[in-house]
Amino acid sequence: MASVAESEFPLASRRRHRFTRQRTGRALAPYALLAPAATAIGVILGYPLYLLVKMSFEKYGLFELIKHKGRWVGTANYANILHDGQFWHVLLRTILFTVVNVTLTMVLGTAIALLLLQVSRWLRVALTTGLVLVWSVPVIVAVDIWRWMVDYEFGVANWALTELHIGNFVRHDWFANPWTGFGVITALIVWGAIPFVTITVYAGLAQVPQELLEAAAIDGAGPWAAFREVTLPLLMPIFVILTSLSIIWDFQVFQQIWVMLDFRPTSDYYTMAIYAFHQSFQISEYGLGAAIAVVMVLFMFAATLVYLRQMLRTGEVR
Amino acid sequence: MHKLGWNLLGLLVLVVMVFPVYWMVATAFKPGQQILSYTPQWFPTSPTLSNFRDAVDQPFFWHAVKNSLIIVGAVVALSVVLAFLASLALARFHFYGRKAFIVLILGVQMVPLAALIIPLYILMSRLGQVDKLTGVIAMYLTFVLPFTVWTMRGFLLGIPKELEEAAMVDGATRFGAFVRVLLPLVGPGLVATSIFAFIQAWNEFIIAYVFLHTPEKQTLMVWLASFTTLRGTEWGPLMAGATLCALPVVVFFLLVQRRIAFGLTAGAVRG
Amino acid sequence: MKARLLVVAVLAAMLAVAATTASGGTSKAQAGKIVVWLQNDAQNGWPEAVALANRNFKAQHPDVDVDVQYQSWGNHLQKFDAGLAGGDAPDVIELGNTEMTKYMAAGAFKALTQSAFPNNKTWLQGLKGSCQYNGKLYGVPYYAGARAVIYRKDQYSKAGIKSTPKSLAQFIANGKKLMKTYGKDSGYSAVYFPGKYWYAAMSFVYDYGGKIAVRSGGKWKGALNSPQALAALNQVKLIAKTLTRASKTTDEANPQQALVFAKGKVGSFIGNGWEWPYALDEKVGNPALAPVVGAYPMPSHTKGKFMPTFLGGSDLAVPVTTKNQALAVDWIKAFTSRAAESEIAKAGNIANTTTLLAFNASNPKLAPFARAAKFSWFVPTSPNWANVENANVLQDMLVKIFTGRASVKAAANSASSQITRILNTGA
Repeated sequence: MASVAESEFPLASRRRHRFTRQRTGRALAPYALLAPAATAIGVILGYPLYLLVKMSFEKYGLFELIKHKGRWVGTANYANILHDGQFWHVLLRTILFTVVNVTLTMVLGTAIALLLLQVSRWLRVALTTGLVLVWSVPVIVAVDIWRWMVDYEFGVANWALTELHIGNFVRHDWFANPWTGFGVITALIVWGAIPFVTITVYAGLAQVPQELLEAAAIDGAGPWAAFREVTLPLLMPIFVILTSLSIIWDFQVFQQIWVMLDFRPTSDYYTMAIYAFHQSFQISEYGLGAAIAVVMVLFMFAATLVYLRQMLRTGEVR
Repeated sequence: MHKLGWNLLGLLVLVVMVFPVYWMVATAFKPGQQILSYTPQWFPTSPTLSNFRDAVDQPFFWHAVKNSLIIVGAVVALSVVLAFLASLALARFHFYGRKAFIVLILGVQMVPLAALIIPLYILMSRLGQVDKLTGVIAMYLTFVLPFTVWTMRGFLLGIPKELEEAAMVDGATRFGAFVRVLLPLVGPGLVATSIFAFIQAWNEFIIAYVFLHTPEKQTLMVWLASFTTLRGTEWGPLMAGATLCALPVVVFFLLVQRRIAFGLTAGAVRG
Repeated sequence: MKARLLVVAVLAAMLAVAATTASGGTSKAQAGKIVVWLQNDAQNGWPEAVALANRNFKAQHPDVDVDVQYQSWGNHLQKFDAGLAGGDAPDVIELGNTEMTKYMAAGAFKALTQSAFPNNKTWLQGLKGSCQYNGKLYGVPYYAGARAVIYRKDQYSKAGIKSTPKSLAQFIANGKKLMKTYGKDSGYSAVYFPGKYWYAAMSFVYDYGGKIAVRSGGKWKGALNSPQALAALNQVKLIAKTLTRASKTTDEANPQQALVFAKGKVGSFIGNGWEWPYALDEKVGNPALAPVVGAYPMPSHTKGKFMPTFLGGSDLAVPVTTKNQALAVDWIKAFTSRAAESEIAKAGNIANTTTLLAFNASNPKLAPFARAAKFSWFVPTSPNWANVENANVLQDMLVKIFTGRASVKAAANSASSQITRILNTGA
C-alpha cells in the first residue's frame, strides 16, 4: 500500500520522509541536548549510588572495608536507626534548624535583592561586590572567622558587645547553651547563604520586563502590589528552586557545626549530617552510615515534594 | 521611601555583611600578638606582611594555586555548556523521561556527600582516577550540574517562547534560535551559575583532600588545612592564606558582574 | 690482570642490577617509590628528623623515592579508610596511639618483627602497648608527649609560694593563694583548666586508683563511678570552680592554652613539653616571659609522688595493602633511629626510647616532662576505644560537671554506662 502511494505521489512521499526525519530529529533533539550532562552524572554517580544502597543492607565495618566485601544483613541497619531514640531527636532538631535557616535565608536574601533595586548605583555596585566578597570566602574559612569572632578569650564579639554596653559579655561562652550556640551557627549559615540567594534573585529581577512594571504603575499599583502581581509570578520558578535547594543544603549542614565545635560536637549539637558522619566514619560502620544517608534522602524527597510538584507543573504551563 | 533612606539601609546591610570578611583581612595584617589580644583593635595599627609571607612560604602554595585554577576553569567551562544544553531540553521540549530526569537531578543533590566518599573512591580507584585532577574535575562537575541545570531551566522558563518562535518564523533552525535569541537573554542566569560553579569548585575541601594525594596535586583548600595542627590554629597565616584564596573569586566576579546588570531585558518583549 | 677481571666483574654486576631494576613496568613503578603519611606536626615541628630519615633511606635504596605526604588530624582517618577501600593506602602511616587498636583489630596493618627496629628493647612501655594486639606487633612507637605543670615563677613568689608543691593538697592550696593575690582580675586563672581537657582530668582519676574502664570476664565495664574515680572527679570540680576562669566548653587547644598563658593572666597550666617554648614564641607568644617560666611534674594526692600523666603520642604502621613492605620497614627504621628520634626530642617531645629520656633530662626545659613521663596511664586497649573518643563521652561528662548541669555522680554514672555499651559493641 505504501509503495502504491509512493509511486503515485512521489513528491508527497519525499516530503513525508523529510517530515518524519525532521520529526525524529526534533524528537531526538532533547535527548541529544541532555546527553552530555546526563552521561557525566550517570557515569560518576551511578555506580557509587548503587554501592551506597547495597551497603545500606550490609554490615560494612572496617573489617569488611579491608576485605572489600560486606555481609548481608537485610534491613537490620534500618531497624537499628529507626529504633534509636537519638535518631528521632536529631531528626526533629534538624527539621527545626532547617526551617529557621531557610526562612531567614530566603526572606533576607530576597529583601536585599529588592533593596538593590532601590539604592543608588554606586551603593548597588558596592553591595554586590560586598556580597560576592562574602560568597567568595570558603566555608571552612568562614567558620574559622566566626569561631575567632566568638572566641571565649580573644573574640571581638564579646569585646564589642561589652564596649557597646549591651551587657557583660567578657568571657561569654557562646556554646555553653545550645540555643545561643545554634544562634551563632544560624547567623553564620544565613550570612553565608544570603549572597547566593540575593544574586540569583537579583538576576531574575533583572529579567522582569520594565514595561510590565511601568504598566502596573500606570494602573495605580503600589510597589508591594506590583511585586505581588508582576514580579512574584515571573520569579516563582527561581524561588521554588532556591527554596528547595536551601532546604536540601541546610538539612545537610555539617561543616559549620563540626568545625565551630572544634571537630568534637557534643550530642546536643548533632544534626542529621553529623549524626550520619558519627555513625559511619567515626565508628567506621559504613553500612549503617549508608542506611542513614538513604533515610535522609527519602526524608528530603518528602519535604520537597510540594515544591517538586510545583516545579514539574510550572514546566507544563508553558 | 526616600532615596536617602534606602541608601542608609543599604549601607547598614553592607557593613553588617562585610564585617566578617573585613575582620579576616584585618587579622591577616596584624602581627601575632595583636591578634591574640583581650582588646581587639578595629584597625591594624601596625600592619605587617609577615603573615602573608608565612602563608606563601607554607610548602606547595604555588602548586595549590595552579591546581585550583585548572580545576575551577575546567569545571566552570564544562558546567556552563552542559547545563545550558540540558536546561534547553528541560525547558523547551516535552519528551519521555523529562519528569524522571528532573526528579533524578533533585534526588542527586540530596545524597550527603560524606556517605558517598567511600563508594566514589572505590569507583575512582577502579577507573584509575585517584590522585588525578581529571577525577576531581569529573566529581565536581556532577555536584555542580544539578543545580546549574535547574537554575538555567528556571531562567529559561522565564523567557516567553514567542521570542524564539519569532526567530524560527524568520527562517532560523530551532537550535539557531536557541543560540541567537535565548543565549543572550539568559546572560544573567549563565553568569549566576558560572559564579556558583566557580565557588563550589574553588571552595571544596573533602573530595580534594581524600582524592588528591601527592602534595604537588593538592588544591588551595587542602593547603589551607595545613595551618591547623595539634598546636591549635595559626590565625595570622591562616587569615592571610584565606585572603589570598578569596582573591581569584572576587576577580572572576568583577569580570563577569556587568552581565548581571539590570536593564538588560529592555528588549525582552519586543513586538 | 686481576684488576681488569675485577672491573669486568663489577661492571657485569652493575649491568645485572640495572637490568633487573629497569625490567617490568608495574613492578618498577612500585619499587620506585614509597608513600609515607605523617601528620602535619612534623612538617613544621621537626622537619630535620624527616630529612634525616629520607637521606639515610636514600643511601640504602638509591633507586627508591620517598613521597612524604602530610595529613591533618581532622580528616586523616577518613582518607585512610577510603584508601583501604580502594586498595591504595600508603606504605607507612602515622596514627595516634589511641587510634591504633581499632585498626589493628580490623586487620589493617601488617605484622612486624620487633627485633628489626632500633632501640626496640627500650621502647617506652606506654607506647609499645598501643602497637600490640593479640600478642603480635603491628606498629612502631614514634613519639610521645607527657604533661607537666608549667608555671610563672614570679607569680608564685609574689603570692608567697616558696616551693613547688609536693602533693595535690599543696597544689590546690597554692592555687588559692594565687587567686587571693591576683584573682581580683576577672580574667585571672591560678590553674588554667578548660572544660574538655580530659587528658588532665583523667590523670586525677588514675592517681586516685580509679580507671576509665576495667575488663572482667571478657567484658569491659565503665569505671568512672567507682568511689576512687568519684573522689578524683570531685577534686577536678573543685579546681574548676575555684581556681580557673577558662572556658567550660572548649579544650586545651582552642584557644591554645600556652598562648593564653603568655598573655599574663594565668598562674599555671598543665601542658606538654612543646607548650613551654610555644608560650615564648616570638610571633604569637611572649618572649619576655622567658626568665620567669618553669615546670614541674603534677604532684599526686599521695605526698611525694607524681600524678600519672597521659602518654599521648603517635605510632607508625604498615598498612596491609602495601606492596613494598620491606621498603616501608626500612623507612620506619630510618625514621625511628636514634639520630632521628633525637631531633624529635629536641622539638620538645618524648622520644620513643627510654635511652633518650636521659637526653631530655639534661635539658632543664624538657627534664620535668621526662620525669613526668615515667608515670603514665593509657586508655583501655579495646578496639572500640576510638569510638568512645569519637562519641565525646569523657568531654560530655566533664562539661556537665564543670557547668554544674549534673552532679559528679550522675555525670559519672551516665558516662560509665555509655562506655560500657560502646566498648562491648560487637563483642
